Formats: sequence, structure tokens, C-alpha cells
Amino acid sequence: MFNLAILKDKVSVHPSDFGGPQEQAIISELNKKYANRVLHDVGLCVCVFDITEAGEGKVRYGDGFLWYTVIFRMVIFRPFASEVILAKVMSSDRYGVRLTLGFFDDIYIPVAYLPAPNAFDPNEPAHFWLPSAEENTPLLDSPTAERMWIDKGEVVRVRVEADEFYDDEPGPVKMADGVQVVKDAQARAPFTITVSMAEQGLGPTSWWSAAEPEGGEEGDAAMDEG
Amino acid sequence: MEVVNPRAALLSNYEVLSLLRDLESDQLARTKTAHRIKKEEEASGLGSTVPVGGGKDPTVVDVCENLRTVSFEAIQYLSADYQPTASQTPQAITQLVKSLAPYELTKAEKLQIVNLAPQNHIELYVIVEELEDRLSEHMEEILSHVSSSLVVDPALNPVSRGTVVQNAVAVDDWEEGDYQYVAEEFDDTGTGAGVEGDLEMDGDDD
Repeated sequence: MFNLAILKDKVSVHPSDFGGPQEQAIISELNKKYANRVLHDVGLCVCVFDITEAGEGKVRYGDGFLWYTVIFRMVIFRPFASEVILAKVMSSDRYGVRLTLGFFDDIYIPVAYLPAPNAFDPNEPAHFWLPSAEENTPLLDSPTAERMWIDKGEVVRVRVEADEFYDDEPGPVKMADGVQVVKDAQARAPFTITVSMAEQGLGPTSWWSAAEPEGGEEGDAAMDEG
Repeated sequence: MEVVNPRAALLSNYEVLSLLRDLESDQLARTKTAHRIKKEEEASGLGSTVPVGGGKDPTVVDVCENLRTVSFEAIQYLSADYQPTASQTPQAITQLVKSLAPYELTKAEKLQIVNLAPQNHIELYVIVEELEDRLSEHMEEILSHVSSSLVVDPALNPVSRGTVVQNAVAVDDWEEGDYQYVAEEFDDTGTGAGVEGDLEMDGDDD
């Protein structure tokens, strides 16, 4: 889920920080710049792991900061394709389910990746799986007791299918009648992960916790859930 | 700003959890020290008219909001009940990885076994591709290695900075490609070796 990336950057240290150890000042400047931000095609930066190399601090004309060229390692969150992770269900709508990890929210399961046969019940609202459905019977007519719900707050096991980075380049300032039009804050998430729970063993952990050996059904725990 | 290597090494959840916890405790320690120093100065009536550090209050340890948010949430997620991370120790993980060696698992599969600690067949099935073809006889053994690597009471589990380094050095399976950094011992005591030497303001000769 996590990996180390090696990055190179220039940071400036304010004179008020000259008292303490320089490594600490540099690390905290780097954290200020990168922590909890998405780097395009790299992932979500969590925190600085360590500093590999830092040159001498140089003073630039015009300010009193010390500028360092630093090569450092950063802990990055970016699950690889086909990795299995545990996440919590945040919300569902008719297009799919959204999951969260606490520190990262943009994990989506499109309807196609939910275990079939399934349907979305807008009254809950939640998706459910009906493994014992017969052909041609509308799923929403099935008795609620038999449905395997994917409820909000449940811990689910999912497999990562793909991730996507979106870099919003700020364009020229839009003006309407001489007044600046302020664009809404970020409409699209910079980093989204698409996951699937369509295989055996994936989905709410409670479905599989008392499973039989592989090749089996969801096991006793699931049957008791109704 | 340049990305030298977007994926130099893989980290297990345990390593990240212990790194974040260390960061948090360092943070707390520094704040406490700063407060203690301030109190001592006030008590001995030393207050000077010239503000130290260009007017910046030394007791306010500058912690960036974003860092606090992401590390707090990540610690919450990684130490949750449904995760095995809280019950792991670095020695147990090293042991587990060594015991998985004879089964010809890929790096990714071994990493996932450490992160997810599968307790039954179906969980293992999800992690390892073509489980029946490759490992049908060994499943039980793998599962027993995994359960023996988990500590029963997470409250007794010590977490310290030293463990992250040892884990990185011992488990040299994690790195991909030519990742040389793990080979060297990291000296965390900061006694002027390597990087620290360059940054010394006093101009020590190294």
C-alpha cells in the first residue's frame, strides 16, 4: 500500500529556525510542502522518511533564507494494481459504492465490480448481493432477510483495479462583465482508486470470516446473517 | 522539484505505522521540552528584551496541519481492530518472510501476506494467484506461519524507531531494482556523520 519515492527539491529555511538542528528544519519545511498532498503520477505523500543528501545552505540576494537542494525519501500511499486492501464503506449510490481509509477517501467501486447478481435499494440506500437469486426474478422483490447488504461503515476487502491522476491546470482568469469569476473549489479529486469486490473472498469481511476451504461458498457466517 | 524515483522501495503497513508513531512521539517530546525550558527561564527571571529567533516563540513547535491530519488518520487506520498491524513485531515479520521463502511467492504476495495476515484459506486464495495449482499442500503451513507471527496482546507491543531500520535492513526482499540505500546502516544518533556534517552551521571540518 505504501512505498518510498526519492524526490529532489529546493527548500528554504527561515532564520528563526537556525537555532535547532538543520535536518529537522529541512524535514519540517518538506513536510509543510508535501504532507497530505497528491503528487501527479506518484501518489499521496504521507510524510518524509529521511534525507538522503542536502547541499550547503545558500543565501539568495533579497531574503535571509537559507536555500538547500535536498534529495530525500518520502512515504507515498499508492496501492499497486491487484493489491488487496481493507477499507470502510462511506456511501453508496446507484452508480456504485464509495470507500474510505480515513486518510484517503476517493476509492470507488463502480456497479460493474460488485458481486453479481446485485441490485441497489434506494430506500436504504445500499447495494446488496443475492447469491441465491433465480433467473428472471426482479432482485428488488426479494425478501430483505435474504439479501447480503453492503452497509455503510462495514469493513470490506477489495482488490485494486486501477488508479487515476487528474491534474487541474489553472487556466487564464475568467472574467464576466469585468468581474472575476471565481471557480468552485476542486470539482474532481486529484487521485482516485477504482477497486473491485467481484471475486470470492472479497466484500465485507463478515461474509467470509467463517468460510470453508477454497472453492466453497461464503460459509456459515453468511447464512446466519439473514 | 524532480521525481528521482517514484517507487524506490515498498513499505509494509507495520513500518509505516511505527514511523508515524515515532513522528508523533518526537513531536510531543519536543513540545514538552520547549515548554519546560520556557518555564525554567521564567522561573529564574531571565526574560530578555531582545526576542530570540527573530520574534518567533520557541515554545510553539511548528507542526504543519496537513502532516498532523494525515498521520493521525493513518495511525487510526493502521492500528484498527480489523487490521493485524497492531499485533505485529519486527522480529515476527522478519521471521514470517523467511518462512515464506521456500514457497516461491512473488514480492507483492509476500508483502500482502504480511499486511493482511490471512487467517483462513479464502483470504489466502484472494492474495495468491492460482493458489490450488501452486501451493495446495502448503496452505496449512503458510496459515500457521502467519498466525504464529501475530502477538496476542497488542498492548504489550513495543514500537520504536530502531525497529523500522532493522526491518528495512533485514527484510531485503522489499526493494525493487537497484535499491542500494537499505544496505547501509542508518545512524539515527545524528553525531555528524554523513548528511549532518554538511549542514553544521559552525563550519566544523568533517
